[in-house]
Amino acid sequence: MEEKAATKTAHPAPADDQLTASFWEACQHGSLMMTHCRDCGHYFLPPGPCCPRCWSSYIDQHAASGRGQVVTYTVYRHGYHPAIPPPYVVAVIELDEGPRMVSNVTGLDSDAVRTGMRVQLVFEQAGDRKIPRFEPTSGGTTGTSEASTGKKT
Amino acid sequence: MSRGAVIAGVGHSEFGRLPGLTPWQLETTAARAAVADAGLEPGDVDGLLTDPGPAQGILDGITPHFLRLGAQLGLDPDYAGSEILGGAGSVGIVGRAVLAVEAGLCSACLCVYGDSPLSQPAAFGYGRGDDAVFGFFGAVGMHALAARRHAHNYGTRPEQLGEVVLAARAHAALTPHALKRELLSMDDYLASKPVAEPLRALDCCMVSDGAAAVLVLSAERAARLERSTVRVLSQAQAHSLQTMGNGTHFDQLPAARSAPRLFERAGLEPSDVDLALLYDCFSIVLLMQLEDYGFCARGEAGSFVENGGIAPGGRLPVNTSGGLLAECYGGGMMHVIEAVRQLRGEAGERQVADASVALVSGHGLGMNTHTGLLLGADR
Ligand SMILES: [Zn+2]
Repeated sequence: MEEKAATKTAHPAPADDQLTASFWEACQHGSLMMTHCRDCGHYFLPPGPCCPRCWSSYIDQHAASGRGQVVTYTVYRHGYHPAIPPPYVVAVIELDEGPRMVSNVTGLDSDAVRTGMRVQLVFEQAGDRKIPRFEPTSGGTTGTSEASTGKKT
Repeated sequence: MSRGAVIAGVGHSEFGRLPGLTPWQLETTAARAAVADAGLEPGDVDGLLTDPGPAQGILDGITPHFLRLGAQLGLDPDYAGSEILGGAGSVGIVGRAVLAVEAGLCSACLCVYGDSPLSQPAAFGYGRGDDAVFGFFGAVGMHALAARRHAHNYGTRPEQLGEVVLAARAHAALTPHALKRELLSMDDYLASKPVAEPLRALDCCMVSDGAAAVLVLSAERAARLERSTVRVLSQAQAHSLQTMGNGTHFDQLPAARSAPRLFERAGLEPSDVDLALLYDCFSIVLLMQLEDYGFCARGEAGSFVENGGIAPGGRLPVNTSGGLLAECYGGGMMHVIEAVRQLRGEAGERQVADASVALVSGHGLGMNTHTGLLLGADR
């Protein structure tokens, strides 16, 4: 964290990274974009110059359905940044299309989050930025299936 | 099996909060001690590999760590480099030194870990890449995700993580140079404040300033030494660089892939191991490695550590000097040094009887890297 003093209390910004700039730009417009391999059909995150499964560079971008499930999660009880006070939930979400991503689970008590819980995408405003987070699927039911291990779409 | 290289000397600085000492002072102290321990002179060293630890890495944006340290040690070696594998780095450079010596690229390769993370605290509490956007800070968060997964898959209880911490303290109590020598009760553990659930403050290793060094020597040169040496029986690495793209990343460590190769290359089984020095930045990582290395079936590490299973006198003594949880933060090189001391029969009150085979592991970054060594007594 090598932020200047003036930005210490602002919400942390995405890393200044050519690879992920398009992902965050799409978030500003309310879309969670996955990269899709037009040769083998694999969906992946974060974006990259080639398909990590077959190394094809014949790729394009698809909007995710926004549905997925919690693979695992942790409740932070210790704060690391003034703009993100504890408690809050950091989770690994597996999108129904296959890719996994780190995000937050919101819209419920931290203690109510469960592994395998079905969730859906929401965008939440933090400063001038829209952040893709997840809340329990309406109906609030916990998924019965185990979060997969080794699943590749 | 590796036949051409041995560990001939070990040494380290003091550890703790050492604001009056630079990493360079600590590292040169460790280097001097390791070479002297082998009964050799500085001029005998013809290889230098370094693990710069969490706070150093690339200095001033351009100078690699080994270049600066090599200048201070007056070395113009035949082989040199720095390895950036996080906590897998120290075991990694010892393995790389063995390869270099076996290949004849050098014959006395000094391996140095050193850092002053307490005096340069900015290196800790980081959020890598976009992780900070989600408040995903610190190595503790990544390991908490694995601990939650272990509890979900196998019903692992907080008390079983606690057993790992209690055992570390029990070993440290027998280790004069360890920093946390007070015994803990399970109530003490359970009262420890949560950081990133299910991990508590006591599940996290300490952070220390300090340095440690090991001298890898060709068997040919070692034959002329008075000192007893330690044989390197085999080495193996495995890495999970995809993190989220690897569907098993939170269920098992890359060690699950490297461990069978490590044993096969040495012609040994897990049951041949007399003691294990397992990288223990967080209690959960030690539990997972017991399964990955085949000391117990997957999901059974929690019960393996109960009733003092890894404590002094347990069925498998693990981290006999207290490890990162109770000895000091020695980057993993202190694990190598403890294995050498045990295999030379020099571990004093904590000596494991008839120790002849030791496993040493390193683990690092976002659970991305893993390195392992099997070491054998020279008898
Ligand atoms: Zn592909």
